[in-house]
Amino acid sequence: MRKHRATFAIVAAVAVAAPLQAQITVPTTRPPTTRAGGNITAKPPEGPLPRQASGRPDLTGLWLRRGGIGDIRQGLKPGETLPLLPETVARMRKLMANEDPQLHCLPLPTPRANPYPFRMVETPTHLFILNESMHGYRQVFMDGRGHPAPDELLPSWHGHSIGRWEGDTLVVDTVGFHPSTWFDNYGHLHSEKLHTIERFTRRNLGNLDIEITIDDPGAYSRTFTLNFNAQLMTGNELMEYICEENNQDLAYIEGLAAPGLEAEKSGK
Amino acid sequence: MRISNRRVIGWACAALVTGAPVLAHHSFATQYDINKPVEMRGTVTKVEWTNPHARFYIDVKDEKGQVSNWNWEMASPNVLTRNGWKPNTLKLGDEITVGGYLARTAPRMAIAGAIKDASGRPLFASAQADLPPAK
Repeated sequence: MRKHRATFAIVAAVAVAAPLQAQITVPTTRPPTTRAGGNITAKPPEGPLPRQASGRPDLTGLWLRRGGIGDIRQGLKPGETLPLLPETVARMRKLMANEDPQLHCLPLPTPRANPYPFRMVETPTHLFILNESMHGYRQVFMDGRGHPAPDELLPSWHGHSIGRWEGDTLVVDTVGFHPSTWFDNYGHLHSEKLHTIERFTRRNLGNLDIEITIDDPGAYSRTFTLNFNAQLMTGNELMEYICEENNQDLAYIEGLAAPGLEAEKSGK
Repeated sequence: MRISNRRVIGWACAALVTGAPVLAHHSFATQYDINKPVEMRGTVTKVEWTNPHARFYIDVKDEKGQVSNWNWEMASPNVLTRNGWKPNTLKLGDEITVGGYLARTAPRMAIAGAIKDASGRPLFASAQADLPPAK
């Protein structure tokens, strides 16, 4: 009871502090279907891992990633922290929220994601990852080629990706990222030395495990690994997403991208 | 202005329990203020079925009879569609009730957390976008 009173007091304080507008008779509860990417069920479809004729896992499908949408640290192990170099922290301190490439409708390279699905399409020579968000596509070369020589590698938003199978896991190795992209809304940055290794493992019909290793000696003191899961979205297709058509938000975004960074770094 | 404190407390309570909506295209806190919940009833004057966010505009009358037009942000059409919406779910002239949070700087702009349509039916409005990682 005492706890309830305390909660009420906090709530009342918040309510009283709020400048209230307009006349009101209103909903007090949210409808039950507040899932982001869509009507995926809390439990993904069940079934065995589907395989291609070759015997390899079939990754084809429409997938929705869970976790790491606003902050990639959600993909770290409990208690683990990002090994940011001091110069990376210094760069992050200056970032304003309205500088976020995503706010400008620019692509979301690995390891960034937002709550829109992607479709995996595999051909004998290429794997395509079609992102609903920002209409970004990724092209992964599956024909055994390597990365271009450093002086021939063109910086690009999604980088240069080559893929190979290790048992039932598809490994995608990417270099050549455009240096000004962000990992998340918080503004976790990287350098031009960023190299990512993604391991896609379809555990069963409904679940795709995604392990992303970040190797970037220009921004982090060691490699680290993020773990996410994607769920199969049944009964859905990719939808058009033209971010530029009514991007009103940009004019009203204010403040630092990572306002909590000072407190974190000072140990408060 | 006539204000129902019980309703507002209910909204603030919901905010404390669920946290602010986490958005895809921008973070909540850089545009909206979790400490400024707002609720109002008004008449739909425009619906923008657009990305990155769908929007509706309502005329709201205060107790002096002054009418002002409010710009309400929702999730994207893609997310709305996957949660049961159609482009004509809200129609011009509909009398609706909406609760959400005020923008930090923009006048008469807010983000919708819950809507009741003309018939009193609750509608999904914006997403709890960041699903926790599956363990």
